[in-house]
Amino acid sequence: MVPFVHGGAEELYIHLIRNLRQAGVDAEGMRIPFTWEPAERLIDEMLIARRLRLYNVDRVIALKFPLYMVPWPDKVLWLLHQYRQAYDLLDVKQSNIPDDDRGREIISAIRKADNTAFSESRHIYTNAPITAKRLWDYNGVQSGILRPPLNDPELFLGGQSSGYVLATGRVNSAKRQFMLIQALRHAPGVRLVVAGPPDSASDADYLRQLAIQEGVEDRVTFELRLLSRQELAQRVNEALAVAYLPFDEDSFGYCTMEAFCAAKPVLTVSDSGGVLDIVRDGQTGVVVAPDPEDLGSALRQLAARPAHSAALGRAGREALESARLTWPTTVEKLLS
Amino acid sequence: MRIGIVSTAVPLARGGARLIVDWLEDKLREYGHAVEVVYIPCTEELPEILPQMAAFRMIRLDHYFDRIITTRPPAHVVQHPCKVVWLLHHVRMFYDLWGTTYSPVPDNEAGRALRTAIMAADRTALGEAHRLFANSHVVANRIRRFNDLESEVLYPPILRAEVFRSGDYGDEIVSICRMERHKRQHLMVQAMASTKTDVRLRLCGPTLDPGYVEALRESARQHGVADRVKIESRWISEEEKIAILESALASAYVPFDEDSYGYPTLEAAHARRSTVTASDSGGVSEFVTSGITGLIVDPDPVALADAFDRLHANRTLAQKLGTAASERVTTLGIDWTTVIGKLLS
Repeated sequence: MVPFVHGGAEELYIHLIRNLRQAGVDAEGMRIPFTWEPAERLIDEMLIARRLRLYNVDRVIALKFPLYMVPWPDKVLWLLHQYRQAYDLLDVKQSNIPDDDRGREIISAIRKADNTAFSESRHIYTNAPITAKRLWDYNGVQSGILRPPLNDPELFLGGQSSGYVLATGRVNSAKRQFMLIQALRHAPGVRLVVAGPPDSASDADYLRQLAIQEGVEDRVTFELRLLSRQELAQRVNEALAVAYLPFDEDSFGYCTMEAFCAAKPVLTVSDSGGVLDIVRDGQTGVVVAPDPEDLGSALRQLAARPAHSAALGRAGREALESARLTWPTTVEKLLS
Repeated sequence: MRIGIVSTAVPLARGGARLIVDWLEDKLREYGHAVEVVYIPCTEELPEILPQMAAFRMIRLDHYFDRIITTRPPAHVVQHPCKVVWLLHHVRMFYDLWGTTYSPVPDNEAGRALRTAIMAADRTALGEAHRLFANSHVVANRIRRFNDLESEVLYPPILRAEVFRSGDYGDEIVSICRMERHKRQHLMVQAMASTKTDVRLRLCGPTLDPGYVEALRESARQHGVADRVKIESRWISEEEKIAILESALASAYVPFDEDSYGYPTLEAAHARRSTVTASDSGGVSEFVTSGITGLIVDPDPVALADAFDRLHANRTLAQKLGTAASERVTTLGIDWTTVIGKLLS
């Protein structure tokens, strides 16, 4: 874990524990701070995980690198992601591991340790098809797909649109809220609300300055903090649409599920990865190229045709319902 | 300030060492700080201890936190430029318990080498701390004796002292405490066989040792006191605790050589209940003065029985000692303002 960072993975962790308890299981979560810079550090991090010792539990459910390496005879992995910079991100040259002999040793150590951890696990689940595919391609390991359900669907009941487009989720450069602000110049009159916790103060400052630079600050409302679930749901329920543009996300994303639960269409982009498994252009939302002008045009369309937008949102809700993601069935699988 | 509280923990086990962390987290947030708790699992199996300590020491914390507060050992071996250690106890089998029947560490070459290594690691980890606090004079004395370091005593308060209530002094001597051998609830059960009044005993709390609880029940039957001894082996909620203490006669807390006065003693005092304890119970006597804030007797069933009877026969005494116990909390400065001020100094 990264101290003080709160996003989808942290929500999943909290709700997994809560739902295990609701199922009558005595459960507790444990998290150790993780540091991946410099790359040499990754070796230490794996050693730490490998040297920790558990007892007084029957089953371990492990979620993240490198803590899933903790030794335990009855261990089930629910892999949210591997250390991608040693795998697919390395292939696209987005890795922090240096391209030299030592870097190759580090990568080899990560892959070997991963394979050991995978081979010791009783079951391996992944959170999305893309995670499962990577695990198969790189490690030759088969896994079941267990998509994380929405934690509090009862809050996202939908409602009358107040006409704004809402950007939710953690705020950072990979989630690309900046592109929506740039798009506003091409969508006169459209209002944007950005509501979510920034990873750092500089992420927040950058967006605020950008809005001023672009001359759209009067049409952007910033709520750059961790909103309570009730506050967040209220913003979603009253939105015209939700915009969610992560770069190459693995899963649907909570932002997508929250929007669809509330029957709001989702605006996303063609390189947003797993979001595209459920957001279909013209069916449940709008998918355009990751480009401010194209996004601007999409924003204009959504705002100009509110009835059509609402219909897309309703189709989104149906798509989510047919995926049948619930906590009781998820917990049952993790305990089997 | 970004503060990390680092403690070791037995997964799924609750108890005083968890509460101190949970409460400190709440209070630091109340004071406006950003707080993350890091619980590191830890076993005390001999061959596993040093590798685990080495792992703890490797965890990088300096870039995430402005300050680290460590509590349960051996979490204090983590590294941070501003590390505040609030030591609740040592890993006692290498320290004061070493050489007693309570220590599994063998007195042979391997055992002695392990003990030397642990003590050296502790000396380094405690010595490098920005501030070093002990939760009691007992622990502070051990730090001086074994680690050759000076520490300041900082007494741990409970989260919400104001929720405790004081009603009439009833028939029950209560023990709200984990049921484990070294807490010696068995002395209390045996004592019931020697009482001469209608005093009753109520033991409640969770256990990691169901065999011990079964032995307690069996002992109550054998001594023919099962009708006056109530045993509830489970976690007791705050609400239940408040209600049990509200009408108790007094609290009993007779652990073997405990490190601190113990939460049971403090909770009883907040409910204006005195504590019956034993002369070898360690840090409990930092709080309890016999005849003033409780009764200290020999660790012996007959002596305990006599103390129970004295309180049952004299409710005025029970009330007087209980009231003095409540005042003792203030005298010792057991409150969060004091604790937060010191930990952030």
